Amino acid sequence: MAELTRERWGGRSFFLFAAMGSAIGLGNVWRFPALTYEYGGGAFLIAWIIGLIILGIPWMMMEFGMGRLFQKGAPGVFEGIGKKWEWLGWWPVFVAFLIVTYYAVVIAWSLNYAASSATVAWGTGEAGAANAGAYFYGDVLNLSSGPTALGGLQWPIVGALVGVWVILFFIMFKGARVIGKVAVWTVIIPWALLIVLLIRGLTLPGAAEGLNYYLAPDFGALTNPDLWFGAFSQIAFTLSLGMAGMFAYGSFIAKKADINNNAFITSFSNCATSFFAGFAVFSIVGFIMQALSVPVGEVSASGLGLAFVTYPVAISMMPAMAAVTGVIFFICFFFLGIDSAFFLTYGGVIAPLRDKFGWGRAKVTAVICAIALVIGLIYTTGSGLYWLDIVDRTVSFYGLLITGALACIVVGWVYGADKLREHMNATSDFKIGAWFDWMIKIVVPAGLLFVVSWGGFKNDIVDAYGGYAIGPFNGSHIIWIILAVTLGLSFWLQAAKTRGLKAPKEVKEE
Amino acid sequence: MTTAAIVTTIIMSLVFIIGLVFCFTQIGKGGKWED
Repeated sequence: MAELTRERWGGRSFFLFAAMGSAIGLGNVWRFPALTYEYGGGAFLIAWIIGLIILGIPWMMMEFGMGRLFQKGAPGVFEGIGKKWEWLGWWPVFVAFLIVTYYAVVIAWSLNYAASSATVAWGTGEAGAANAGAYFYGDVLNLSSGPTALGGLQWPIVGALVGVWVILFFIMFKGARVIGKVAVWTVIIPWALLIVLLIRGLTLPGAAEGLNYYLAPDFGALTNPDLWFGAFSQIAFTLSLGMAGMFAYGSFIAKKADINNNAFITSFSNCATSFFAGFAVFSIVGFIMQALSVPVGEVSASGLGLAFVTYPVAISMMPAMAAVTGVIFFICFFFLGIDSAFFLTYGGVIAPLRDKFGWGRAKVTAVICAIALVIGLIYTTGSGLYWLDIVDRTVSFYGLLITGALACIVVGWVYGADKLREHMNATSDFKIGAWFDWMIKIVVPAGLLFVVSWGGFKNDIVDAYGGYAIGPFNGSHIIWIILAVTLGLSFWLQAAKTRGLKAPKEVKEE
Repeated sequence: MTTAAIVTTIIMSLVFIIGLVFCFTQIGKGGKWED
């Protein structure tokens, strides 16, 4: 039956840890440091901080604030603005759901690698380093020739994936109070492990050279539009915005609680973690450069390549504590990912569904976990990496950027950014000025549309994404199809009857 | 590490430390956590 209460965080610190945990994820380790190196080190950091101030923080305040104001997840927020806008809340729900279907698989790989690191299964020394790539793409993934050559399920990955979803179910089925308490540990543990990894990295030969590549500023790069694209895109991706979840996390905040300061703390903590993680990553990059006598350009420092090939290479070459370092690294990866996964699943999907249909928490949590597990099996096949790449491009790039830009436009111009600002200022630790209104109305949407145009449409309309061939379709076709289908489903959910199970107007503390 | 890399490290560390210290000193000045 309908909820007569709105669930709440157990306290401010639990909310902050949950929000930080959702933002701090795999991208902090495998995307930010490499982008910094690629786009001019210290010069990139200037653009990145500017992006954080004018784009990331206002966007986060908007999602927290609107969630708290309407006491609903994303669809309920946009329904509150006007029934005709509800679809704009459902579209990012699909973004969150599709992201977590493959994100959980990456977490499962981390569990597999945590186990195989104990014996350095891909080998030690230069032979092991040379074998790390073949081990990942061959032994672990059994990578096929293309998206349509499915190959068989990789049962070790399937087993780990089931484990991941069982863990996620038990974290989520009791709601925000338990999520907040778990998040404390899923944030603190990876922080502690990153410190251990940093110390290990800095004690390896060549570390300083790697850090020079990471940090040395090239201010001439500031005139390069690609640098600004990289900085703004990283801000857009790293804060877990545009995925519906932050609306729901904001809706669990008490009505008189702070919004502005929480958004600043969450954003700064996330970006500080990224900056710190760069030291752990590039000290290892420097070590590999020296150990294998290769230039920095030949060391993959981003994405799956960093986590599952480059780092194993470093482990193989370590003079001591190789297995321990490997286990710590992949356990760190697991913890970095797991809180983003339950954010996506609970805040992004389960909370909006419960808002709309009034379903019981345990039941809907079990159903969503099961569906996501079944869909995720595609990524455990031999063609899984190809599908992961296509779906990632679809939702984690186009999906969140487009829905984020549209959400800011509707909130800014239809609901009124000034009304939202007054609502947030009324209960926040410090007040924000009218600059916020123009950020939400113009700057954030413009920034997100610049990123999606410069890094997306400009390339994927001209050239088929990834060079994939899937029957009569190419990679770009699949992207547009998924976006169109999820948009259509969003309108369908907007029209769906709620069977009279509407949330009460007066929301009481649970 | 080069001087430029060290300077970058110091400046960025100060940005985050000052930013977070400011935020934490503001806690409790406005909002109340309980309804």
